[in-house]
Amino acid sequence: MIRVNNRDEIAWEEGLTVSALLERFRYTFPHIIVKIDRRVVPPVEYPTRAIPDGADVQAVHLIAGG
Amino acid sequence: MTTNRVLTEFTYEPSSVERGYTGQTLYVNLSENTVVAKPVTDVMKEKFIGGRGFGLWLLWHGVNDDTKWDDPENEIVISSGPCGGITQYPGSGKSLVVAISPLTNIVIDSNVGGHFGPLLKFAGWDALEIQGKAERDVIVFIDGVSGRVTIEEAPDVPVDTHLVGHWLIEQMAETEEDRYFMSSVSAGTGAENTRIGCLNFSLYDRKRKSPRFKQAGRGGTGTVFRDKRIKALVVKSPPVKGDSNHPADRARIAAAGVRLHKEIHDHDDHQNRMRRRGTPYLVQIMDDYHLLPVHNFKFGSHPDTPKINGEVWEARFTQGLPDGCWYGCTMACSHAVDGFELRTGPYKGQRVIVDGPEYETIGAVGSGCGIFDPDAILELNFYCDTYGLDTISYGTLTAFAMECYEAGILDREKTGGLDLRFGNAEASLSLLHQMARGEGFGLIAGQGVRRMKRIFAQEYGAAPQFLQDIGMESKGLEYSMYIPKESLAQQGGYGLTNKGPQHDEAWLIFMDMVSNLLPTFEDKAEALHYFPLFRTWFGLCGFCKLPWNDIVPPNNRDADEPAKIPAHVQNYVEIFSGVTGHEITKEDLIAMSEVVYNFQRVFNIRLGYGRREHDAIPYRSQGPVTVEEYEARGEYHDKQLSDVVGIDPAGMPTEEKIATLREYREAQYEKLKDAVYERRGWTSDGVPKLETLRNLGIDFPEVVAVVDKYL
Amino acid sequence: MGKVLSYDPDLCVGCFVCEETCSETWFKVADRQKSNIRIHDDGEGNLSAIFCIQCGECTEICPTGALSQDKRGVVRVKKKLCVGCLACVGFCPYQAMFYHADQTEPFKCVACGKCVQECPAEALAILDE
Repeated sequence: MIRVNNRDEIAWEEGLTVSALLERFRYTFPHIIVKIDRRVVPPVEYPTRAIPDGADVQAVHLIAGG
Repeated sequence: MTTNRVLTEFTYEPSSVERGYTGQTLYVNLSENTVVAKPVTDVMKEKFIGGRGFGLWLLWHGVNDDTKWDDPENEIVISSGPCGGITQYPGSGKSLVVAISPLTNIVIDSNVGGHFGPLLKFAGWDALEIQGKAERDVIVFIDGVSGRVTIEEAPDVPVDTHLVGHWLIEQMAETEEDRYFMSSVSAGTGAENTRIGCLNFSLYDRKRKSPRFKQAGRGGTGTVFRDKRIKALVVKSPPVKGDSNHPADRARIAAAGVRLHKEIHDHDDHQNRMRRRGTPYLVQIMDDYHLLPVHNFKFGSHPDTPKINGEVWEARFTQGLPDGCWYGCTMACSHAVDGFELRTGPYKGQRVIVDGPEYETIGAVGSGCGIFDPDAILELNFYCDTYGLDTISYGTLTAFAMECYEAGILDREKTGGLDLRFGNAEASLSLLHQMARGEGFGLIAGQGVRRMKRIFAQEYGAAPQFLQDIGMESKGLEYSMYIPKESLAQQGGYGLTNKGPQHDEAWLIFMDMVSNLLPTFEDKAEALHYFPLFRTWFGLCGFCKLPWNDIVPPNNRDADEPAKIPAHVQNYVEIFSGVTGHEITKEDLIAMSEVVYNFQRVFNIRLGYGRREHDAIPYRSQGPVTVEEYEARGEYHDKQLSDVVGIDPAGMPTEEKIATLREYREAQYEKLKDAVYERRGWTSDGVPKLETLRNLGIDFPEVVAVVDKYL
Repeated sequence: MGKVLSYDPDLCVGCFVCEETCSETWFKVADRQKSNIRIHDDGEGNLSAIFCIQCGECTEICPTGALSQDKRGVVRVKKKLCVGCLACVGFCPYQAMFYHADQTEPFKCVACGKCVQECPAEALAILDE
C-alpha cells in the first residue's frame, strides 16, 4: 500500500516509478515537489525512482497560478 | 496638441520622489472644477503604506455612510505604492484603483499594470483622487514636465480605448520621445451602459511603436469613470531612470533584480514559459485538474480544451519582444496577437493588436461559455478591452445567461433573437456589441449576474433558488476562473474576501484539494489569514504577484514552506527596505497588510455590508447543483459521499445524493467561516473586534463608531 | 562580424592590468568591479576572461532600445534611453554585462583597445572583420 498526500491510498506495484505515479494521478502541474518518506526526490530521478511498499508519498503542488 | 476648452488649470512645482514617495496626492473635483494638492501624512505612510491603502484612506474620507456608486461623492483613486516605478525588479509597476462598485455597493480594489501609476508618481503625485461629476465629457491632463494639471472639455476625444490610445500618441504626444513617458486611463462605450466597466491603463510599446493596454478589470471602475463623464486621464512625466524613486539603497534593489532576471532567464523556458505564452500556460493544467470553468462552472474540463491551451497561444503571440508591462519586467507575460482582423462590430475589417488573452479571459469568454475557438476569444477580448468591459464579469454573466437559455428560463423572445446556447460565439459577440450600443438584451445582461437573478425571477417567473444556485456571483461580483467546488479552502478563498470572489486574495486550490496540506479547519483558517494578507501587500507597494511564484528558484523544494517561495519573499523584504530605508522582516509584510485589510472590512460594514451574511456563496461554487453535474463525475462524487460524508450512496437516487452532499458542504462552509473569523480576530458575525482594531492601531473614533453597532 | 576584443588564455599571465586599465579609462578609478573585462584564476593555473563579444542578444531583451550595435558591430549602451532595469545583466549569455551600485546604467566592453595596449603579455587583441 502506498499513501499519497495523507489521503489517497493505492496498491503497491513493483517498479512503480514516481513518474508513473504522477501520471496515474494526472498530476501535470509543472512545479511539483515529490517526497518519499519525507525525503525530497530530485526531479531528474522521477522516471527511474521506484516507490517502496508502505511509502508515504507527498506530491506538493506549488500554488502559483491565479 | 489639443484644442479642448480648458476648464481649470493648476500649476505646481513637481516634487521629486524621496524613498518611494512624493509626499503629495492630487485631488480633482469635476463638479466644482477644482484641483488641490493634499499632503501625504505620517499616518498614511505608516499605516496605509500606499496603493490600495492610500486608496481606501482617501475614499473613506471622501464619501458618506450612504454614498452610492453613482453619487458625485464616490471617488476613483489611483495609486501605485512606494516600490512602484523601480525598474530593476520584475513586476514593479502596478497600481491599485479603488472606488465604490456599481456591482457590489462596497469598495472594489483592482490591480493593474501599464505605465500610468508609476508615471503619475514621477509627475509628482503619490495618488490621484477624483470626485464629483463633470457636466460634459472631460479629460484630465497631468503634465509633470511643465507642472500643470488641467481639466479640459473634450468633445472630440474618443471613448473606446484603442482609439484613445491613438489619440494619445498622435494628438497628445508631440514627439516620439514624448510617447515613452505618457500614459492614459480610459474606459469605453460598454462601460457607459453596463455595471461591469473596466479601466484600461496604457503603456507605449517601443518595438511595436503602438500603445498597449492593461486592465483594472474588476468591480465596475470603468462604469464609475464614465458616470463621472471622464473620457481619459493623461499623465506625462520626465524620463524614467533607474533611480527615479530615489531609493535609500539602490544596490540592494539592483542585486535582487539581477538575481531574479537570471533566474527567469535560466528557468522560465522549462517552468511556466511565461515569456513565451504568458498566463495561458495555466489553461490545460486547470483542465487536467477539473478546475477550468466550463459551461458556467458546471464542469471543470472539456475535450476541446487543447484548442485553446498554452501551446496554441504561444504560436499565436508574436515572439521575441520585451513584452513587460513596466520597465524591467522580464517575466514579460504581456503578450499580444498582432495584425488581427476584426470580423464583427463597428471596427470590422481593422487589423488590430489584441492585448491577450490572459488565462482569465480564456476561461471566462471561452471555456466558461463553451467557446473553444481562439479567433472568437481574440475578438471578444479585443472588444471587451476597447469597450471598457471586464472580461471576467462579461464571461461569467454570459455563461449564466446561456445556462438560463438552455434551461428554458430565457428564450429568443426574451433575448431579442440571440440564440444564447453554450458555444455560440456569434451570439456572444452580438450581445457584446449590444452592450456597447446600450441596446436590447445587452442592457439586461450588462447589469451583472446578481441583478439578472432578480430580473429573471421577478419578470420571467424563474425559480429563485435555482438562479441563486447557478449564478456565480458573491457580494454582487462575478466569480473569476477557478472551480472551487472540491476545495473548501478555495470556497473560502472566494467567499471570505473583502471585495468579492476575485482570486487575488487567496488561491489555495492546489494546497488544499490536491496536496492536502490544509486538512483541518485551523489549517484552512491559517491559510485564509496568511495568503490574503500576503497578496494584499503587493497592492500596497506597487508589485505584481506573478514574479513571486510564477518562477521558482531551483533550490526552493528544499526550503521550509516551499509554497511561500521564501527566497522571493526575502527579495521583497530587501526591496522594500532598500526603497524606503525602513528595515522590515517578512513578518512585517503580514502586519502591514493586516491593518489595511481590516480597515477595508470596516469600510464595507460602514457602507451597510461586510458581515457574515454577506459572505454567502452560490451552491455551484461548492458542489453539483444538477443531476447532469453530479453524474459527470459520478464515481468521484459517490466516493466523496462515502469517504468524506460517511454515507453509503448505494441505491440512492441522484437527487438525494446531491441533497445529502449539499447539506454537508454548506455546513462545512459555515464552520469555515467560524474558524476564519476567529483567526482574523473578528466576531462570529464577521466584524473586527475592538481588540483587533486596537492592536492594529486603527481604533480611530470613526472606525470604532462603525463596529460599535455590531459588538 | 565587426570589432571585438579577443583574449588568449595561454599568453595571459594573470596580472589584472587590463582590469585596472579599463576601470581607470571608463570610471577614473582602479576597481575591478568597474572593469568591463574580468580575469578569472581558478587556483589551478587556469586563466579565463569574461568580456562582451558583441553577440547582440541583449538588444532584443532591452525594453527601451538603449542597446544597439553601432556601425562597427559594437553593442553600445545609450545612457539617455536606458532606464536601468538591468535585464541585460541577467540575460547576457556570457555574463558580460556588468553593473555597480554607483551606476544606474550597466556597462560593457566596447572594444576600445586600451587594455590591449597595456597588456604586458600580448594576450589581448582587437579583431576587426
